[in-house]
Amino acid sequence: MSGTDIAFFLLALAAIAGGVTMLQLTNVVHMVIALVMTFVGIAGLYVLLSAEFVAVVQVLIYSGAITIIMLFAIMLTRHHTDERERPTTGGVWHKAVAALSVIAFGLAVYFGIRQLDFGADGSALSGDNAKAIGKSLYSYYTIPFEIVSVILLVALIGAIVLAKKDGKGAEDE
Amino acid sequence: MMEQWLESTPSWSNIALFFGLGALLLAVVLAFVTYGILAERKVMGFMQGRIGPNQVGGRFGLLQTVADVLKLLLKEDTIPKAADRPLYVLAPIIAFTPSFMVLAVLPFTDSFRFADIGVGLLYYIAVSGLTTIGVVAGGWASNNKYALLGGMRAAAQMISYEIPLVMSALGVVLLAGSMNLVDIVAAQKDVWFIFAQPLAFLIFLIAAVAELNRTPFDLPEAESELVAGFHVEYSGFRWAFFMLAEYVYLFAMAALVTILFLGGWHPVAFLGWIPGAVWFALKFCAVVFVLIWFRATFPRVRADQLMEFAWKVLLPLSLVNIVLTAVVKAWFF
Repeated sequence: MSGTDIAFFLLALAAIAGGVTMLQLTNVVHMVIALVMTFVGIAGLYVLLSAEFVAVVQVLIYSGAITIIMLFAIMLTRHHTDERERPTTGGVWHKAVAALSVIAFGLAVYFGIRQLDFGADGSALSGDNAKAIGKSLYSYYTIPFEIVSVILLVALIGAIVLAKKDGKGAEDE
Repeated sequence: MMEQWLESTPSWSNIALFFGLGALLLAVVLAFVTYGILAERKVMGFMQGRIGPNQVGGRFGLLQTVADVLKLLLKEDTIPKAADRPLYVLAPIIAFTPSFMVLAVLPFTDSFRFADIGVGLLYYIAVSGLTTIGVVAGGWASNNKYALLGGMRAAAQMISYEIPLVMSALGVVLLAGSMNLVDIVAAQKDVWFIFAQPLAFLIFLIAAVAELNRTPFDLPEAESELVAGFHVEYSGFRWAFFMLAEYVYLFAMAALVTILFLGGWHPVAFLGWIPGAVWFALKFCAVVFVLIWFRATFPRVRADQLMEFAWKVLLPLSLVNIVLTAVVKAWFF
């Protein structure tokens, strides 16, 4: 067992543990913190795959920006924390069907990825990640890249329009 | 020498070696924090016509911070009854760990550096963002309105000022052609980027002060309005951890400014016989002094001014700087 394997198992365990903890917790803020653990674990896995740039962007966007925005949204909205343990809905049949489908899904994924070939090993790109991504983005995918930027701009303007309308309505009241 | 170690095959002795080096760096950083705080108090005392610490540890108060830290460690550890216990305990750790992790990519001299990764600059920005989560979580878990307000302000401020910080550093990245901090220093062999990128330097310095939550941008800890900010309820060593994180970031940010704009370990024109480590230390100390100077002389800005300044002044200026840099690079290089 090499060091990479040990690192892989530790990081994968951290990512899965974060996800399972998130599902188990009842407090929304705790859930977000557990989610951060998953994000950071996945970023570590990217580093093992010699994709440092993707790993860093994962931490920057998901663990940094998106988590903070989620925390903001949770704290700024009024929510009645009803933390009593609620019994799970549905009878034995529901649970059995749910368990079976989870197992079936797991098996399907396992057989699907068991003999998957991802092509050449990516470790040659290690170190010059950003350059390689930039080159292929601007050489072969220029139009999709530009279209994505336009879509993001539209979303941004849409958000502003929605927020503006809301403010005007509040003034009229 | 460290380069050879980094590229050698992994073994148990390597693990011990790197652990030892990490511990050494931690010791250096802790020594900096100890005397950085003393220097801050002395310099601010001087600027305000006071003497500053002069009782513990001789005439210059050399053991003042040590005594303060000892006091903090011996203090009773209080956790408010209504606080969210697990998160309250976890928050200082989440806030501190990234501050030490970012030090890994900073090249201090040609031979004394740890990780040499291609996206070093981005790594610093990304990992330092994790501290915000610790601050917000701490503010929320304290179950105190001042702490919550402080945490929210910290999050808003750190997210807003991260953008001009990155955008101004992009000018440097454009000129150096790399995000690797070692390559960035190497590109400043002849001209330091403070001369090639004066506008970027100013924006970066302002955004850095805001990222460090220091005066004039210390709204998250504004004593006069928020009692103490996000760490109102913290005491003893948990509070010390928040403070430690802040001062380790001071160390890291001063080192980053030195690396990005002041030429890292490169000497001034004809003084090449002085070793690089001394040059790095000198520039680093100059940056730390400037940051202390800011703290002693600027009044705190208002919350609305803070946000407007980031989005309406710093961000457009840094975008202009990127365009100018690209044009200059395309025509003259």
